[in-house]
Amino acid sequence: MKFCIRFLIGFHLIIPILNGGEFDERHFPIQDGGRIKPLDTFARTQLLALYGKRSVKHDGLSAIDWIIDLALYPEKGQEVTKVFNIRSPEVVASLGLEWTNNDHKYVFNEVFSGLQKQFELISEIQSKPDETLISFERQLLEIYFNATRFRAIAYSLSCLVPVISVNDPVLAEKLNSSPGKIVSYAHLIKYLPSISEIYRNTMEKPEKEWSRTEKELINILLELQEISSNETSQVLKLIPPSHLDKTGTWLSPWELMDGRSHEPHQDKILIALERYFAGRYEGNENKMISAIEDYRLGILSIPTSKPEINLLKKETWVNEADLFYTSVTFYILAFIILGLSWMIQPKWMKIISYGSLILGLIFHTYGIYLRMVIMSRPPVSTLYETIIFVGFVVVVFAVVIQYLRRDGLGLFIGSVSGTILHYVSFGYAADGDTLGMLVAVLNSNFWLATHVTTITLGYGASLVAGFIGHIYLIEAIRKPHDVSNLKDIHKNLFGITLIALFFALFGTILGGIWADQSWGRFWGWDPKENGALLIVLWQLMMVHMRLTGLAKPAGFALGMIMNNIVVMIAWFGVNLLNVGLHSYGFTNGVALNLVLFAVLELITGFGTYYWSQTRKESLIVEK
Amino acid sequence: MKQIIKTISHPKIFVYTVIWLMVLTVLGTIAQRDIGLYASQQKYFSSYITFLGDTIPAPGGRFTMIIILVNLMSMLFKHNIWKLRKAGIIIVHLGAVLLFIGSGVTAIFSSEGNMVIYEGAQSNYVDDYHKMELAVVNTSKKNLDEYTVFDQPLLKKSNKLSHENLDFVIEIIEYYNNCKVQRRTKSSDIQYKGMMKNFDLIKLKPEKESAQNRSGIIYKIENSDSNYDGIYGLILGQSVIQTATINKQNFEFLFRKKRTYLPFSIELLDFKKVLHPGTGIAKSYSSEINLIEDGLPRRVLIQMNEPLRYRGYTFFQSSFIEAPEGEATVLAAVKNYGRLFPYISSIIMAVGLLVHLVINLPRLLRKQMTGNK
Repeated sequence: MKFCIRFLIGFHLIIPILNGGEFDERHFPIQDGGRIKPLDTFARTQLLALYGKRSVKHDGLSAIDWIIDLALYPEKGQEVTKVFNIRSPEVVASLGLEWTNNDHKYVFNEVFSGLQKQFELISEIQSKPDETLISFERQLLEIYFNATRFRAIAYSLSCLVPVISVNDPVLAEKLNSSPGKIVSYAHLIKYLPSISEIYRNTMEKPEKEWSRTEKELINILLELQEISSNETSQVLKLIPPSHLDKTGTWLSPWELMDGRSHEPHQDKILIALERYFAGRYEGNENKMISAIEDYRLGILSIPTSKPEINLLKKETWVNEADLFYTSVTFYILAFIILGLSWMIQPKWMKIISYGSLILGLIFHTYGIYLRMVIMSRPPVSTLYETIIFVGFVVVVFAVVIQYLRRDGLGLFIGSVSGTILHYVSFGYAADGDTLGMLVAVLNSNFWLATHVTTITLGYGASLVAGFIGHIYLIEAIRKPHDVSNLKDIHKNLFGITLIALFFALFGTILGGIWADQSWGRFWGWDPKENGALLIVLWQLMMVHMRLTGLAKPAGFALGMIMNNIVVMIAWFGVNLLNVGLHSYGFTNGVALNLVLFAVLELITGFGTYYWSQTRKESLIVEK
Repeated sequence: MKQIIKTISHPKIFVYTVIWLMVLTVLGTIAQRDIGLYASQQKYFSSYITFLGDTIPAPGGRFTMIIILVNLMSMLFKHNIWKLRKAGIIIVHLGAVLLFIGSGVTAIFSSEGNMVIYEGAQSNYVDDYHKMELAVVNTSKKNLDEYTVFDQPLLKKSNKLSHENLDFVIEIIEYYNNCKVQRRTKSSDIQYKGMMKNFDLIKLKPEKESAQNRSGIIYKIENSDSNYDGIYGLILGQSVIQTATINKQNFEFLFRKKRTYLPFSIELLDFKKVLHPGTGIAKSYSSEINLIEDGLPRRVLIQMNEPLRYRGYTFFQSSFIEAPEGEATVLAAVKNYGRLFPYISSIIMAVGLLVHLVINLPRLLRKQMTGNK
């Protein structure tokens, strides 16, 4: 069912909605991780870290509503919404919580009181060097950091939330409000000078003689005092800097409450945000809509390095659309239809499967393209992006192979490896915001961009070659007498190997040129370089083994299957070595997966190889 | 002759050597975890002979690559290779030959090191990354200080150093790649002088990062006909200068990273570090410098990925120091005569492979329609 819905959504999205509709609260720009992103991305990333998903599933709450509600009703957010997802029974026990069987979701208050009891343990863990921590300590520390950040988010906007009611007509008038209306800290602070005279008079009298107005004034002041204890909650950097600022560091609303003078653009955004909250608090749709419009005008009035509203909308749209989920759906569909076509064999089914693969590829490409536009950088800069891009390359090759052969081989390669690579990338996306900033040496460099793109093309082509290697051996078992079919596949395999070698070799040399440009040495034998070199050497070896007859077609196929292991080691394994002693959680998982992959390839590769050899021998005996 | 070429150009040789090269690559990569990049590179890749498990001799990376090069070059002398159909292959192999030659030139002739310059200061020499030197400075000459410098290869245990500038002989007692200073607990009757009277140098295991090693040297002055005969010690980065007065001449002994002097000097005007806003991630580093030659300054901005190339040297923004006395930039300085080879050979190889692919791919990728279906 879900599958069908995705499919329908997919078709709906073929009409590209480039502007992503009207500007709304999801698009509010916020600075985080060194870049300006929409509040929607920020909320999703936070929720991913706390809860493990990008929306609060069991409450049907979207990320943006979660974060705004949390800011608007911090107490409720800490008491009611179960967003702390704790997966480790040890941690749950140490926090004195119940290990419930099905969801392991907890509210902030339970977690926090548990953490307070463990405070000594936590501060001891914090003082230890990072690489000596065991998994329990790491997880406890993570929960602790999550809880701290959660609290900071909850109170980051508390100066803008309406909480203080002013009932006295005299005070209300002076404070630019009306009796009974509930206003925010920021509002009161702004008009506080106008009641300083009343305050002075009050202070000169003993408490017994205070009038109602004066009593209320003192109460208001006490409330202000209490709210200002949140002023260190400065996580949400929603306010652009002053035009004099040179570092480009955005501010949180609380930072502007310290009495500094506000610039017009800062004030506009602050007031719009405050009005938005008031509207949301009162349930007044029109007020919210006009506040959002004010917010937009506020952004447009930013004097220097203004965030582009279109990009904010695009990114939010990308978050919503999840293009890579759509593309993988089409790949799976292509595979299913291909499978059906093997059973019932009408030609048109292959054509539909081909169409589905191409549709998937279109979404895949569009997803990569949008990421490039949002970050204005080349398609591949992080490990996550290499996976997405290798998937793309593989499917492109598969589409071409299918076009040339028209027998379903390309469909099989494209749908299967496209799907697998997508799922691998989803694992990496669970790490947080996949649109992270890069360190200096990786920034804006022509050679780096060409190098990474080329080498990734090499990875992709190599994987295709390995895949065809498998198919060759399977075909050699299934139909050892069909010599021309085997010969064909072998030629395809060799062709793809040459392409893979071309990209791997130039990717590697371009990497050297980048290194020469960036720090003056072409080749330094560091692990990443050696990994790339190994792929090149392996493929050179295979090509020359074929040339000298050391490898017959079946042996060549086996060699290219083994090349898959080399590619995986160069791609993921080298990072493990670099990390070295940091063998924990996530990386441990990668190491395990690598070993599993290698074992699987060794077993299937050698297994099918020897099987195919015995089939061949028996064929000769028969003759 | 034909037979010889046929033998040494046989692609099987390439297959076996390339397998060995892969073994070396894997070993050399894994070894980096334990002994660090520089040591592993020296052991597996820059060596002619490497010792597996420190005992079994085996061909080293350089030797292996020479075999590949010979194999490659002789292949070009084969007769049956010069055919139009193989044009792509010939071009690729020519490019590969060039790549190997280039790497040989780089391996033998290139030099690299770094310059540390504080803001407002200038420098005209490059410190080698790994090599050390012992400089003996005669400060009693009239118009100049007379430097007598002994290079790393000479600083070997029990080597005797002498020079016409010096009226005495220096014997190297010990040379340590990495060591530390330790206070002497027992007094000894050996004729220790200078720092060595109260301290001793203790040998340490080399660090993984070779830049973290503190080299040290223990040497003996002989035949000086003065009471400066005796045993001295020096360690890298030592703050107190070792001096001696021999034959009314004042000498200073300096143990330091090998210096290469430049025909110009560099003055650091300003070092800038820019972070991605609101984070600790560096966005860029840059050094604004004056390149001073013959007294004429020229303003240059060196930043990440934008080095200064001048007179065969290339200066890269490599690192920086933030100290109480001010900011300093660390520039990597490289002189590499082979740096154009990879550019040229990669173009040649790309063209070659493309030619080969264009000639052969259509045949390789298309399914034969004539096959028995």
